[in-house]
Amino acid sequence: MKVTVCIGSSCHIKGSRPVVEQLQELIAKEELQDKIELSGSFCMGKCRQGVCVTVDGEFYSVSPESVPSFFEKTILPKIGCRSV
Amino acid sequence: MNDLTCDIGYKSINHVGEQLCGDHVEVVEQEDGSTVIVLADGLGSGVKASILSTLTSKIISTMLAAGLSIEECVETIAATLPVDSQRGVAYSTFTIIRLIRNQTAELIQYDNPQVIVLRNGENWEYPRTETTIGGKQIFHSLIRLQEDDVFIAMSDGCPHAGIGREYNLGWKREDIIKFMEAMSLCGYTAKNLSTLLVDECNKLYGGEPGDDATSCVVRIRKRVPMNMLFGPPSNRDDVDRMMNLFFSKEGKHIICGGTTSSIAARWLDKPLRASLDFVGDIPPIAYLEGVDLVTEGVITVNRVVEYARDYVNENLRYEDWSNGRDGASLISRLLFEEATDINFYVGKAINPAHQNPDLPINFNIKMNLVQELTDALKKMGKRIKVSFF
Repeated sequence: MKVTVCIGSSCHIKGSRPVVEQLQELIAKEELQDKIELSGSFCMGKCRQGVCVTVDGEFYSVSPESVPSFFEKTILPKIGCRSV
Repeated sequence: MNDLTCDIGYKSINHVGEQLCGDHVEVVEQEDGSTVIVLADGLGSGVKASILSTLTSKIISTMLAAGLSIEECVETIAATLPVDSQRGVAYSTFTIIRLIRNQTAELIQYDNPQVIVLRNGENWEYPRTETTIGGKQIFHSLIRLQEDDVFIAMSDGCPHAGIGREYNLGWKREDIIKFMEAMSLCGYTAKNLSTLLVDECNKLYGGEPGDDATSCVVRIRKRVPMNMLFGPPSNRDDVDRMMNLFFSKEGKHIICGGTTSSIAARWLDKPLRASLDFVGDIPPIAYLEGVDLVTEGVITVNRVVEYARDYVNENLRYEDWSNGRDGASLISRLLFEEATDINFYVGKAINPAHQNPDLPINFNIKMNLVQELTDALKKMGKRIKVSFF
């Protein structure tokens, strides 16, 4: 599964750095490095909804505060893991 | 003319407790492509010294640039300088470096520490002839320039650094030479070389300089062209023209801006890979085959402008960008250290996503950044060409 986080100007200001760092931590904690490929992308053109994140091409709006629930409710079910 | 160019930089520190510097550096470019640099050190320190050195360097540089002889300059100075009421003399020492069409350097030295010339990274004792003008002993040299020659002019505050503190007799000339020989090979700019030298003096003075100390460095180097693309064109139909012009130019290529680099990636038909390495508070860079550096736009360039403004003034932040791995440091090193001729390709498209009152980014900011950056780069002596699309 491919998770892409926008690191463009607008999303950067809205906190793409803490989003990426939290996702990296969560992925490492659940030992899902083999299943999830985390990557960056420049502007996705939806700056108002930033931080922009796509999961296998599907768009999500995430904020640094909502990362844990986003990970649990969106990412984990998609790779067939139960939430912890 | 040849393909050499001169990188000129200088820095001063003031006598402890003084607001003004008694040393003054003046750089004047002549129409024929020659440059006159004068480093003058006024008697004493503070206001009086500052007036003496400013007058001396202004008079000499203006007169020489107007084609008058050194004899006339010296006579004019002797007749013009105000006489010190306590000491009864009007006195300012000076060093003149005149760079003639990037081919020859003429050195005219009066009573300042002798200019150090590093050739191929080593000290070179160049020939000097002595003449007496108006009772003043003046040394004259003509030097044929070679690539990587480094000229280091100083006021006596440099060799006097550390007297009675670190060293009995100050920082010896041989030791200054050794210090600068090691530094000159690291690719530092003239401004950073002079800053390193003066900062070291300040350290030897224990942060309380007993005299004004100034160094002025001239580095002879080959011209290095560079190209920077910033922002998509306002008219979509201009993409081809803009990319064609940008990529056909000689030298390294830098692209700033997410949308801009996506357009370039599509034009090159290569994948754009954004990294997730956050270094400091600058957004990560990206990779695109055929482009030397890809960064985010306004936030990164804004930081570059901050570095550029500091660099042409106090130069207090050079350690940040000369070692940093973030996009802004990488651009700064390419533009400030490596490039001599920079072509800017600036797209005037308005990013609809940025026209959000919540965001500290807008179109005017982008245009101001270009203006400020090019102004600072011109002050660094770079040749700048800006094309808008």
